[in-house]
Amino acid sequence: MEENELEQQDRRDFLSCLGSALACGAAAVAASALAPPATAATAATAGAKPPAIPGYDWSKHRWGYGVDATKCIGCLRCVEACKKENNVLGDAHHFRTWVERYVYLEGEETARIDSHADPVNIAASGSEGEYRFADRYKDAKVEKAFFVPKLCNHCTHPACVQVCPTGATYKTEDGVVVIDHTYCIGCQYCVQACPYGARYFDERRNVTDKCTWCYHRITKGLQPACVEVCPVGARIFGDLNDKQSPISQFVKNNQVQVLRRESGNAPNVFYVGIDKEVI
Amino acid sequence: MPRHIVRLVLLMVAIGAVGYVAKIFFTADSFYEYGHYRGKSVAEIASDKPKYKGSEYCESCHAERFAEWSKGVHNKSDIGKVVKCEVCHGAAGERDVRGMFEHLATGVDHPNKLKLVVPTDARKLCTLCHEKMPGRPAQQPQIVVASHAGTQQCTVCHNPHSPKLNLVSTAPTPIRGDAARGKAKAAACVGCHGAEGVSVNLPGPSLAGQNAAYFIAALKAYGTGARDNPMMSAFAKGASDDDAQDLAAYFAALKCQSSLTAEKQAAAAGRATASKCIACHGADGVSSNRAWPNLVGHSKDYLVAALRAYKSGSRKGNMMAGIVKTLSDAETENVAAYYAGASCK
Ligand code: HEC
Ligand code: HEC
Ligand code: HEC
Ligand code: HEC
Ligand code: HEC
Ligand code: HEC
Repeated sequence: MEENELEQQDRRDFLSCLGSALACGAAAVAASALAPPATAATAATAGAKPPAIPGYDWSKHRWGYGVDATKCIGCLRCVEACKKENNVLGDAHHFRTWVERYVYLEGEETARIDSHADPVNIAASGSEGEYRFADRYKDAKVEKAFFVPKLCNHCTHPACVQVCPTGATYKTEDGVVVIDHTYCIGCQYCVQACPYGARYFDERRNVTDKCTWCYHRITKGLQPACVEVCPVGARIFGDLNDKQSPISQFVKNNQVQVLRRESGNAPNVFYVGIDKEVI
Repeated sequence: MPRHIVRLVLLMVAIGAVGYVAKIFFTADSFYEYGHYRGKSVAEIASDKPKYKGSEYCESCHAERFAEWSKGVHNKSDIGKVVKCEVCHGAAGERDVRGMFEHLATGVDHPNKLKLVVPTDARKLCTLCHEKMPGRPAQQPQIVVASHAGTQQCTVCHNPHSPKLNLVSTAPTPIRGDAARGKAKAAACVGCHGAEGVSVNLPGPSLAGQNAAYFIAALKAYGTGARDNPMMSAFAKGASDDDAQDLAAYFAALKCQSSLTAEKQAAAAGRATASKCIACHGADGVSSNRAWPNLVGHSKDYLVAALRAYKSGSRKGNMMAGIVKTLSDAETENVAAYYAGASCK
C-alpha cells in the first residue's frame, strides 16, 4: 500500500512536470510564430512613418563619428560635458565616454595606459567628480605618448543588441545604438557582450547605460556634447549621407581605422593617429 | 481517445491561449513597429532637453565679454579650435528630473535660477589644457607652470576671455592734457625728477618719455595710497585729475636720456635675466603695452629700488610680484644695470 502510494505520487509529479514543460514550449512556439520575422520587420519599417520627433526624419540621416588622436590634448572636458548632459553618475568609474593615455617609455615594449579613473589622476584632480590627467611622466624618458578618446562605436552589427533578451537596446534607422531604459531589466548581458567596454551599469536606476551620440541633441540639429566642448576639434561628428559634412570629409581625406575590426561588429567611430596597441 | 490524453491536449491548448493573451497584454503597443523594440522609445529618447547651449546663446546678454572672446585666441574657429564659454563656466541649461526613466523637455536655463560657475581658481582651469606634459601635441601652447607662473593665478597676467597678452605695439592713446599747462605745473617736480624730467643723482626717477597711461596710473596709485613713498605721496595727493593729465602730456613728450650711471659689465650679465622681462618691457626698455612703464631712462638705483619694493610687497603690482620672486639679488642688480644702460631712441 505504502509503496503504491509513492509510485502514484511519482507519476503525478512526472506528468505535471511534463505538462508545464510542454506548455512552456507551446507558448514559446506560439510567441515566435506570432512575432513578425526580422525581415518582415525591416520591410515594415520602410513604409511605416518615422518616430514622432519634431522636424526630424530618421530615414534621411546616417550618423558617423571621427576621432583625431593627433589633436587630442587630454583636457577631459568631453568627459565632464557628457556626464552633465546625460545625467551620468558623478564618480570616476561610470562614464559614457572616456580618454585613454598611451605612454611608451624608453626601452619598454608595451604602452602604459591610464584614464581619468586611474587613482593617480583622481588624486591630481582632487576628487572623483573632477577629471584631469596628472603630469605623472614628467621625470620619465618618454619615447612616444598620445591620448585616445573612446566611446560607443555604434556598430553596424552590434553584439550588445543581439544578446539583449528584452529588446531594450536596439539600433535606430539613422545608425545610433540606444537603450530604452523602461524595458531594460539590468541583466548586463550587453555589458559583457560589448568588445569595447562601452557600456556601464547604473546602480542608481538598475539599468545599463551607454553613449547615444546625444540622440536628443543630434535630432535637434546640435552636436553631441563632447563634440560641442572639444577645444581642439579632436572629435568630429556628422551625417555620412551628406558628402560635405565634417565626418564625410574626415573619412574621405584621412586613412581612418576602426577598433577591433576582427570582432565583426563593424564600428562606426573612425580613428586617425592611433597605433596598433590601441584596441 | 483515452481521457487522460484529451485532458493533456486541453491543458496545452489552455496554456497556449493564456500565453497568447499574456503576450498581447504585456507587449507594448509600439513594439515591433520598427523592429524588436518599443517604437515609441525612439521619440522619447530624442525628446530630452539639451543642456549645453553654445556660445552664441551668451552673446545677447554678455555682449562685451562675447566680443572680447570672439576676437581672442580662444575662438580660432578658422582652424576648428574654440574654447567655448560653457567649457569654463558650465552648461547654461538644466533638465528637470522627476522620475528615474522620464525623458523631459523642460528645465531651467541660465540666468533664471541657474547660476553659472565663475572660476575662482584659474590655475586649475587653465592648466587642464596648457600644462606641459608628454602626450600633448606640440601645436598646443603649453607652459611649465612652476617656472611660468610661480604660484600666481593665470588671470593676473592673462585675461581669460582673450588670453594672448597684447605684446604688439599699440598706437599711443590720445592724451587729454595740455603739455604747456603741464610744463608750468612741473616746476614743482624739478627738484626731485630733474630738469626736463631727466634725473641725474636726484631722489626721484626720470620721467621724460614715460608712457602717459602709466604715468597717470602711477600718480593715482600714490594718491590713493596703493603706492606709498614719503617724498612722492604728498605731491600726488595734491594733484587733481586734470593736473595728472597735463603733467602726463608734458613728460611723455620730453626726450628720454640714457641714465649716466650705467655699469657696462653688469649690464652684459643682466641681458640674460632681461629675457624674462622682454615680453612686457621690450629689449630696449620700451614697453609694448602703453599701460606698462618704460624702463629706459631710469637710473640703476631707481630700478633696483623698484624691484626690491615689488619683492618685499611694499609696492603692489600683480604682474611684477610673481616675476621678481624668482630674481636673486645679483640678478636684480644686473638686470637693473642692463635697463639703465639701454639707450633712448
Ligand atoms: C538672457 C540673458 C543671459 C544670457 C543668454 C546669458 N546670461 Fe549670464 N548672466 C545674466 C545675468 C542677468 C547675470 C547676473 C545674474 C546673477 O548674478 O545671478 C548673469 C551672470 C553670469 C555670470 C556670473 C555669475 C555669477 O555668479 O556672478 C556668468 C559667469 C555668466 N552669466 C555666464 C554666461 C554664459 C557663459 C552664458 C552663455 C552660455 C550666459 N551667461 C548667458 C544674463 C544672461
Ligand atoms: C578659458 C575659460 C573661459 C572662457 C572660455 C570664458 N570665460 Fe568667462 N570667465 C572666466 C574666468 C576665469 C572668469 C573670472 C574672471 C576673473 O577672475 O577675472 C570669468 C568671468 C566671466 C564673467 C564675470 C563673472 C563675474 O561676476 O565676475 C562673465 C559674465 C563671463 N565670464 C562670461 C563669459 C562668456 C559669455 C564667455 C563666452 C563668450 C566666457 N565667459 C568664456 C573664464 C572663461
Ligand atoms: C579647454 C581647454 C582650454 C582651457 C581651459 C584654456 N585654454 Fe587657452 N587655449 C586653448 C586652445 C585650444 C588654444 C588655441 C591653441 C592654438 O592656437 O593652437 C588656447 C590658446 C591660449 C593662448 C594663446 C597661446 C598662443 O601663443 O597662441 C593663451 C595665452 C591661453 N590659451 C591662455 C589660457 C588661460 C590663461 C586660460 C585660463 C583662463 C586658458 N588658456 C584656458 C585651450 C584652453
Ligand atoms: C606674471 C605674468 C604671467 C602669469 C601669472 C601667467 N602668464 Fe602666461 N604668459 C605671460 C607672458 C608675458 C606670456 C607671453 C610671453 C611669451 O611669449 O613667452 C605668456 C604666454 C602664455 C602662453 C603661450 C605660450 C606659448 O608657448 O605660446 C600660455 C599658454 C600661457 N601663458 C598660459 C598661462 C597659464 C595657464 C598661466 C597660469 C598657470 C599663466 N600663463 C600665468 C605671462 C604670465
Ligand atoms: C621730494 C621729491 C619729489 C618731488 C618734489 C616729486 N617727486 Fe615724484 N617721485 C619721487 C620719488 C622718490 C619717487 C620714487 C618713489 C618710489 O620708488 O615709489 C617718485 C616717483 C614718481 C612717479 C612714478 C615714476 C615711475 O616710473 O613709477 C611719478 C609719475 C612721479 N613721481 C611724478 C611726480 C610729479 C608729476 C611731481 C610734481 C608734481 C613729482 N613727482 C614731484 C620724489 C619726488
Ligand atoms: C607680464 C608682463 C611683465 C613682465 C614679464 C615684467 N614686467 Fe615689469 N612691469 C609690468 C607692469 C604691468 C608694471 C607696472 C606695475 C605697476 O603699476 O606698479 C611693471 C613695472 C616694472 C617696474 C617699475 C617701473 C617704474 O617706472 O616704476 C620695473 C622696474 C620693472 N617692471 C622691471 C621689470 C623687470 C626687471 C622684469 C624682468 C625681470 C620685468 N619687469 C618683467 C609688467 C611686466
